[in-house]
Amino acid sequence: MSPLERRRRVLAYTLLGPGVAFLLIFFAIPLVNQLWVSLQTGNADDGFTQTWNWSVYPDSISHFSEQLWRSLFYAGTATVLCLIIAFPLAYFMAFKAGRWKNFMLLLVILPFFTSSLVRTVAWQTILTDDGWVVDVMDDLGLVGDSGRILATRTAVIAGITYNFLPFMVLPLYVALEKVDRRLIEAATDLYANRITAFRKVTLPLALPGVFSGTLLVFIPALGDFINAELLGSPQQYMIGNVIQSQYLIVRNYPVAAALSFVLMAAILIGIFLYARALGTKSLRESVT
Amino acid sequence: MPHEEPIERVVERLLNGDDHSRRVFLRRMGAVGLVAGAGSLLAACGEVGGSSSGTVAATTPAKVSHTKTAIGSITVSNWPLYIDKKTPKEWERKEGAELKYLEDINDNESFYAKVRQDLEAGRSIGRDIVTLTDYMAARWIERGFVEPIDKANVPNAKNLSPSLQSPSWDPERAYTLPWQSGMTGIGYNPKKTGGKLTGMEDLFDPRFKGRVTFLSEWRDSTTLLMLADGINPADATVDDVMAQLDKMEEASASGQIRRFTGNDYAKDLASGNVWACVAWSGDIVQLQADNPDLEFLIPEAGAGIWSDNMMIPAHAEQPYGAETWMNFYYDPAVAAQLAAYVNYVSPVEGAREHMLDIDPGLAENQLVFPDAETQKRLYPVVNLTGADEREVTARMQEIAGA
Repeated sequence: MSPLERRRRVLAYTLLGPGVAFLLIFFAIPLVNQLWVSLQTGNADDGFTQTWNWSVYPDSISHFSEQLWRSLFYAGTATVLCLIIAFPLAYFMAFKAGRWKNFMLLLVILPFFTSSLVRTVAWQTILTDDGWVVDVMDDLGLVGDSGRILATRTAVIAGITYNFLPFMVLPLYVALEKVDRRLIEAATDLYANRITAFRKVTLPLALPGVFSGTLLVFIPALGDFINAELLGSPQQYMIGNVIQSQYLIVRNYPVAAALSFVLMAAILIGIFLYARALGTKSLRESVT
Repeated sequence: MPHEEPIERVVERLLNGDDHSRRVFLRRMGAVGLVAGAGSLLAACGEVGGSSSGTVAATTPAKVSHTKTAIGSITVSNWPLYIDKKTPKEWERKEGAELKYLEDINDNESFYAKVRQDLEAGRSIGRDIVTLTDYMAARWIERGFVEPIDKANVPNAKNLSPSLQSPSWDPERAYTLPWQSGMTGIGYNPKKTGGKLTGMEDLFDPRFKGRVTFLSEWRDSTTLLMLADGINPADATVDDVMAQLDKMEEASASGQIRRFTGNDYAKDLASGNVWACVAWSGDIVQLQADNPDLEFLIPEAGAGIWSDNMMIPAHAEQPYGAETWMNFYYDPAVAAQLAAYVNYVSPVEGAREHMLDIDPGLAENQLVFPDAETQKRLYPVVNLTGADEREVTARMQEIAGA
């Protein structure tokens, strides 16, 4: 190995160092610790002891399967809704907004200046049972038999969609902004109409944005508990609510750790399959 | 019974936005576990539990003596928005000491989870006073996490209200002194319910379907239900409590009960989403300032009473300083100033007389100074210990959907 090569290698490891150390300390170690805790048995008052109780996994999955499936359903629905809402918005910003582009971007980011908790609590006020919003929706036949929006599934999914929408808009915008306008021009020169040009050129080039946007929305939405807590009722609680309750109130740390682990594993497998389906190319592109 | 708001609170409201809603949702956030940053802003006073039902073996402490020393500084942990602005400064002036006041207790269990390892290892938790609800205070005493109080340094402890002097878990108040007490009853809006309510059976009235909430703190909710069934919460068994949880589960499944809540019921009650709910007295007094229609019902069958208790954690560095703090707040004049701000029940005899000067309306308020007639209907909130407690807590969380 030449001295130059050696120096390059040292430099590469030095640059990687902080990142690897960070992952090790704040990801790998907690992960191992969590796995360790999940296999213990006992109770919070007398202490837990390690018994390699693997049955905690099938037990807690079957016990809380309702909340697990519900989380998948809510997060999936919210992700699709985000995509439907965000795509036209991002498209408009990237292609049509002109000098308003930066202002619109600011508007999308603006909600982040307030805590998402505060904004979710604001929705409680907006969707209050006797308020005009619910009255108008009721007149339009959009409110179910219960006569309310709050403490229903609709409110929880809407809340998740609202809270995570910017995470879909921004990557979509970046992907669409990067599209080379000359390619679209070329498509129309070759007798593609605007719809065909969009389908064959713009959309495929925006896919990396769709990919990262859906991940950015779906993953946090899956573990979210604030929206279910504030806008839902016991019939809407998600797996995040279960984990926080098992940790902080029931103090059954093994079950809480096991559920967190299951959730993470499910997400990892999901990303893997998704990346395979959309192609790892878009995963690479979405991060570059 | 609307009362004039103390000017301090009006100012604070102007500065911080609407006082009670802030308290309501911040408190809840705390319970949700998002304590950092937002928690201290939003939270309000404690989630309550109960005094124990006598299942905790009371230990008689060895007599202690904490010699007078220069205090320097003490660290006090309490619930957010649970103290006025003036009295802590008065204490500092009086003792020539510095106060580090932390509003870092958002929820009994979470706070316990935070300091438990230090306590078990016999280390100081860096605080000279913590303020915890009855059941949690009982747990700390049982596990030996509390330093006894040297009563010679707290002469004002004689002002402790007689009804609070001997809880089963600390019969001589050797370890604890209540900071504030409060009642658990029914909060409701007569305009919405179409008239006065009389008891817990009204919360199961089908006309109010989806407009009723219960507290997710099972100690509070089941105490009221058991009293309605003629069971004294002090004699309650785990089966009695479980039977009431079954009732709540059924009502939740049928849609009668809308949600199980922490302090956040107050927002729903004020906005009209909820018409009747299991509620804490201090919250309702505060809500009445803006919503004079709201009422707090202490059912004929009885309501719950609980306290948040000051105590000195084991290995505290300034037990003497902590005792001067306790003594200061058991001066009736100081206690009245505190009660005028927090609107919960003052545990200090004689505070009412001073309140007549500060705010006569509050002095007459049964929710702040319950008279003998009212006090007869108040029962310490139920508690269970050990495996029973864990089993009921897990069951309650299941009913609450998580």
